[in-house]
Amino acid sequence: MAIPARRRVADIVAFAFASMATAFGLFWLFWILWTTLAQGAAALTPSLFTQMTPPPGSSGGLLNAFYGSGVMILLGLLIGAPVGVAAGTYLAEHGRYTRLAAVVSFINDILLSAPSIVIGLFIYEIIVRTMGHFSGFAGAFALAMILIPIVVRTTEESLRLVPDQMREAGFALGMPRWRVTSQILYRAAKSAILTGILLGVARIAGETAPLLFTALNNQFWSANLNAPMANVPVVIFQYAMSPYDEWHTLAWAGAFVLTAFVLLLNLLVRILARKGSGHE
Amino acid sequence: MNDSAPVITIDPVQAAARVEPTATPQPLAGPAEAKIDIRNLDFHYGKAHALRHVNFAVPANAVTAIIGPSGCGKSTLLRTINRIFEMYPDQRASGEILIDGANVLDRRYPLSDLRRLVGMVFQKPTPFSSSVRSNVAFALNYYERMSKSEIDDRVEDALRQAALWDEVSDKLNHSALSLSGGQQQRLCIARAIAVRPEILLLDEATSALDPISTAKIEELIHELRERFTIVIVTHNMQQAARVSQRTAFFHLGELIEFGDTTQIFTNPHEQRTRDYITGRYG
Repeated sequence: MAIPARRRVADIVAFAFASMATAFGLFWLFWILWTTLAQGAAALTPSLFTQMTPPPGSSGGLLNAFYGSGVMILLGLLIGAPVGVAAGTYLAEHGRYTRLAAVVSFINDILLSAPSIVIGLFIYEIIVRTMGHFSGFAGAFALAMILIPIVVRTTEESLRLVPDQMREAGFALGMPRWRVTSQILYRAAKSAILTGILLGVARIAGETAPLLFTALNNQFWSANLNAPMANVPVVIFQYAMSPYDEWHTLAWAGAFVLTAFVLLLNLLVRILARKGSGHE
Repeated sequence: MNDSAPVITIDPVQAAARVEPTATPQPLAGPAEAKIDIRNLDFHYGKAHALRHVNFAVPANAVTAIIGPSGCGKSTLLRTINRIFEMYPDQRASGEILIDGANVLDRRYPLSDLRRLVGMVFQKPTPFSSSVRSNVAFALNYYERMSKSEIDDRVEDALRQAALWDEVSDKLNHSALSLSGGQQQRLCIARAIAVRPEILLLDEATSALDPISTAKIEELIHELRERFTIVIVTHNMQQAARVSQRTAFFHLGELIEFGDTTQIFTNPHEQRTRDYITGRYG
């Protein structure tokens, strides 16, 4: 049967708009990737990953910044993910019908949209000022504070998506709640929860403001979490603001690596999500 | 045969002339053979009164079907027997449900004991996202310390009883989600009987399945009734007639009539039962 002309036109128009919107989004992403790559190309050498941030006028790499970022993200993840998953589990399961859970969920939403610089200042007040100096710990805590509400929200949502029938089936076998949660619900929601955690990591990987007040920066190699620590976002910020060409190039290269890392994490999330929606 | 033998006549004139049917259903299951004895059971969802003063006794080692129009309380009744309703706030049951003489609605009756005694299978298959084997073994090591080979034996035993073994024996490590709907439902039956309950509750367990899977499960119910006391809730009256020995008809939260399945379907005493089974409402 012939499709009426009007429907065909509507289809073409809708398709064109959707394609244009996609192209619009992709355009900026590729522009960013291309610009950072082109500008930072000169610094994208093995020494980027083997040498320390240089003083003005000499060449170097970003090893200390990559290391610092990696350690602080990892520590932030180790603190933030368990707390977030546990709190999300409370909201979706144990506290499900309670007033407290409703209040906590609401507060979590506020935390979720709190500007990251506020989180940075908060950690500055409670950790940096108490300890008397900037430190990698403070940076990791600030990142954890940003990660937690993201993980709480996604865990809660993922668990709520598991049908009540699965809970009933577990309880009907006489299983206690912790077993139903850990062995039935977590399994069913596994990829969704992991997706949330990875998206949270992608988010904290690029955070600058909370580190500026907490980990600060360190021009030299330092694996000491109790001292100021180099990290990619703050290095990019400082080098980009500097008048030195070598620093500019390094900032571009750092920005490229960071963008590529976040892109890869997102790809990983997509793969996980696809695996979770089909039946493994 | 002598003259004093009771003569059963099915005389339409006589049947029609009987204006007042027997007001109280005959207690076909005496207290002695009753496995589940439900006394003065009331149930509330918030302010809604879902079950009103229900009294009846479910006989042991037989299939009892609960029928009635949507919202009549049949699933609710099933959900009070294993207290699964306690998962939700605002749901309350009062009265008594005696299983082997003990009131299981009493808060002092341990839930894990009750749920080991009473297995339940739901309308939609609820396989856990793990292997076939671990689905069936799921609750086993919670109740008993067992070696791996004992668990394997129990898994095989349960799968055989659920008439699923031949189909899955070579894919015990496959995901349970890869099975067909009918297989998933039999897996859920296997999972329920693996812990060796005495009572099985089937809540419209075949309504999401195709006719062939349904037939398999009905056949299975026939076999299982020798070992278990089975209560099924069904929308499908033919199914109730096929698989059960006793039938209870519920309407608007009240038990209208309870009796032998043949009697309920061929000679219901109550007008509402008659209307329902002849399809006047439903």
